[in-house]
Amino acid sequence: MRVRLGSGQWAAWAFLAPVVVYLVVFYAYPLYRNVELSLRNYTVRSFVRGDAPFAGFDNYLKVFDDPAFGPALWHTVVFTVVSLVFQFTIGLALALFFVRNFPLSATLRALFLVPWLLPLIVSASTWTWLLNSESGVVNAALGVVGLGPVNWLTSPDWSLWSVTIANIWIGVPFNLVVLYSGLQAIPASVYEAAALDGANRRQRFWRITFPLLRPVSAITLLLGLVYTLKVFDIIWIMTRGGPSGSSTTFATWSYRLGFGNLVPSFGPGAAVGNLLIVAALVFGLVYVRTLHRRVP
Amino acid sequence: MRRVKTAIGLALTAVMLFPVYWMVNVSFTRDENMRRSPPHWFPVDGTLEGYRAVLDKQLPYLGTSLVIGLGTVVLTVVVAAPAAYALAKLRPRGGGVLSFLLLIAQMIPGIIMAMGFYAVFLSAGVLNTVPGLIVADSTLAVPFAVLVLTAFMSGLPEELLQAARVDGAGTVRTFWSIVLPLSRNALVTVSLFAFLWAWSDFVFASTLDQGGDHQPITLGIYHYIGHNNQEWNAIMATAVVASIPAAVLLVIAQRYVAAGVTAGAVKD
Amino acid sequence: MRSSASGRIATGLGLALLAACSTPSAPSAVEEAPASAAAPSAYTIWDPYPQYDGSSEWVRLLEACGTQAGVTVERTGYDTSDLTNKVLLAAQQGNAPDVLIVDNPVVSTLAEAGVLTTTAENKLDVSAVSPNLLGAGQSGGETFGVPIGANTLALYYNKDVLDKAGVDPASVTDWAALTAALEKVTKSGGKGITFSAIGTEEGSFQFLPWFWGSGANLTKLDSPEGVAAVTLWTDWLKKGYAPNSVINNTQTTSWQEFATGEYAFAENGTWQLANAEKAGFPYGVIPIPAKAGGPAPAPTGGEFVSIPVQQDTGRYAASQQLVACLTNGENSLKTTTTLSYIAPTDSVQQQQVAADAKLGVWVEAVKVAKGRTGDDLGTKYPKISEPIWGAVQAALSSSKPPQEAMTEAQTAAASATQ
Repeated sequence: MRVRLGSGQWAAWAFLAPVVVYLVVFYAYPLYRNVELSLRNYTVRSFVRGDAPFAGFDNYLKVFDDPAFGPALWHTVVFTVVSLVFQFTIGLALALFFVRNFPLSATLRALFLVPWLLPLIVSASTWTWLLNSESGVVNAALGVVGLGPVNWLTSPDWSLWSVTIANIWIGVPFNLVVLYSGLQAIPASVYEAAALDGANRRQRFWRITFPLLRPVSAITLLLGLVYTLKVFDIIWIMTRGGPSGSSTTFATWSYRLGFGNLVPSFGPGAAVGNLLIVAALVFGLVYVRTLHRRVP
Repeated sequence: MRRVKTAIGLALTAVMLFPVYWMVNVSFTRDENMRRSPPHWFPVDGTLEGYRAVLDKQLPYLGTSLVIGLGTVVLTVVVAAPAAYALAKLRPRGGGVLSFLLLIAQMIPGIIMAMGFYAVFLSAGVLNTVPGLIVADSTLAVPFAVLVLTAFMSGLPEELLQAARVDGAGTVRTFWSIVLPLSRNALVTVSLFAFLWAWSDFVFASTLDQGGDHQPITLGIYHYIGHNNQEWNAIMATAVVASIPAAVLLVIAQRYVAAGVTAGAVKD
Repeated sequence: MRSSASGRIATGLGLALLAACSTPSAPSAVEEAPASAAAPSAYTIWDPYPQYDGSSEWVRLLEACGTQAGVTVERTGYDTSDLTNKVLLAAQQGNAPDVLIVDNPVVSTLAEAGVLTTTAENKLDVSAVSPNLLGAGQSGGETFGVPIGANTLALYYNKDVLDKAGVDPASVTDWAALTAALEKVTKSGGKGITFSAIGTEEGSFQFLPWFWGSGANLTKLDSPEGVAAVTLWTDWLKKGYAPNSVINNTQTTSWQEFATGEYAFAENGTWQLANAEKAGFPYGVIPIPAKAGGPAPAPTGGEFVSIPVQQDTGRYAASQQLVACLTNGENSLKTTTTLSYIAPTDSVQQQQVAADAKLGVWVEAVKVAKGRTGDDLGTKYPKISEPIWGAVQAALSSSKPPQEAMTEAQTAAASATQ
């Protein structure tokens, strides 16, 4: 038994070897660099010369002390949770809708992916265009039905919702396509058996589709979480995190500190970025634990 | 009933693609009408200036983007598929830790990745080259591909793999002739995203290939982003022109996501 | 070293050195290889004008200057907001370009980073350049480059809209007159003024003429004068004289608003002149008024050409020839015309006005303009600018009253510049 298991392990790791090499070669250095940036006191000069003094956790303390920390944390949570919930439910609903073939279904499903073909600078700029308070088409449409204009991007009360809506739009195709292939992988025979047992549509969804879709749903949500935590370009292009910090999340804050200024502060920027990595780590742990509980 | 569904499907797609329509609308709009309030819903009194600018200059970029996109797909699948098989079915010790690392790998901000690659690529001599950019773009997709393929492959019926083993197939044979064909849907999905990410990537291209002889279409947009002034109709026209060939590819690829692949195999 | 013959010798020497470095035994050869593998004598030039491609006049000028200096030129255009980081990264890896053209407020930062050579080292001649323009490239008594051209801000106006409202643009010489004009325009059914108050350096750039025109100083943001400037903008928004969209406007967006023909005024720069001609309505340009009257000092825009530090100092000679070629009298006229800029030297400015009388207003505006990093601020400026645009955004979006916004900005700026 032990010998067989050993040889199985060898085979498994032989299959994993390419990805392990890949991880070490391409991710280890950037990750190391991000950690190193956050632990040293970088100025532009020491960045170029590579001789920044070790600063311990100073950058992190600076970040925690910053008055922007609390609001940024709250915005990150709201942005992430609201985006995830809507992306996933809309994506799942659309996947269920498209799973029964009808004329044009494959083509329409493909068209849903078109937003992903656009560089984010273009799709996010298009959203700024739509939501412009003076000349945006959304306010023009609201005017037609008799509602007053909304300062989507320029009011601190609305900016976070505007960027969230744009982000949901970007995220729906991803959820749709992954969940759709997940639905396709469920054998039709299972449904046939359930139909024979007289299960109705609702029962079939909750007793068959939902449980069988769980591994794919879990990974979709987890990846969605990681991607949403990381989103900065949409927000950056649409509002620059403003006005007055009202749509600043950790990701945009990190970008502003490190790259969005004439004088970059690499240290605090990297520190904020690493806090996000820690957040993803926590959720990753939850994921791995639930996976192991399911597959003993 | 099926026709009703088509109608609903069309309506949903229209809502989803409205921003894309708006992009098309802007691409035809004259400068003086861009911020008209209320805006024109259709490009009345439009201009083809944006497209003239784009077709003059942008076509070579499309070819490069295509090569980069397809290269990224191949590299991603080659690296990710075996790993996903191992994680899903071979239960390697430490597999959990590896999945975990893959997850964290994706959290590194793109711009930090780009900075890291810059140093590595410079000393390896692949800065400003297409292969270099393919490798960089694949890092967007590989962790995703491994995790998603693992999720799909762990859903493959164990009895199929057992049967193959009984027939005397080794691990490699099982992977090649059973697991891969059965994972067709997942492979198409993963390839689609690998392609899309490479196609629309901006951060890596601008850090690692801005001085290159062959640049992807996303960098073509820079022709219209001046120091103080941006030509938005040309920017949008570039995006429209860039998305047409890729959209055709998507429609074709979606046809290969077929129903009942696993079901058929189980019945056999 | 100044004569071209000795320059060529130095170039030759530089090439020989480079060739020597390219032997595999030298450790630096690995780093040099990718840049120099294709053509060993290629000199790299980075500029923030990605809109100009290989067939443009600008790039042809660069190539011609390369031919004159006896080297081939490899030019890359970067997005201006990206360029600083690209240069820092490249310098860190020993891969900085030979010639760098960069936005003027960044020069002091790059100088601080030790990326740029001084004019004492690279022997560039800056004696003819107007001191108010050169200021942005100076720090600690050293000069780090030559301005390639300058631009600044003024008020464009739409004659039709003003006529309809019965406003004479010549009467707009102080804040009160401007606000009164905006009121008349709004009452006559037109739209008042558009500008850019976006949360980036662009926003500060556009705000500074009002801030300085009020008599405020960058070292004390919350002075009554500073608060008055924020209040002026805030009141315009509240009264509907300026659209709410200015909070998120880039200078391009703001120009597009003006181009609709509905707005009376737009605060914008020299570079929009060509577009103004195409706008399809009669326009004019007046200086931005100061609070108490007269033209307000506007910030200088425009780029500096500089020579980044190289390991191989033999390269400087040819780089110096390249820069001199780009900035000498005759080419300066060509360069600034191509870029729609005002020349940095008196003599070329006169040629420009002689060729196009409409540039007269802009030449005057550039003469009274102020460098953002001047007043000995240098690298402190960016740390003051960020709180400024933040405060302007806070006040315009009614998150905070002007006084509170500026007081907080002052606290933030003071602690960042300690």
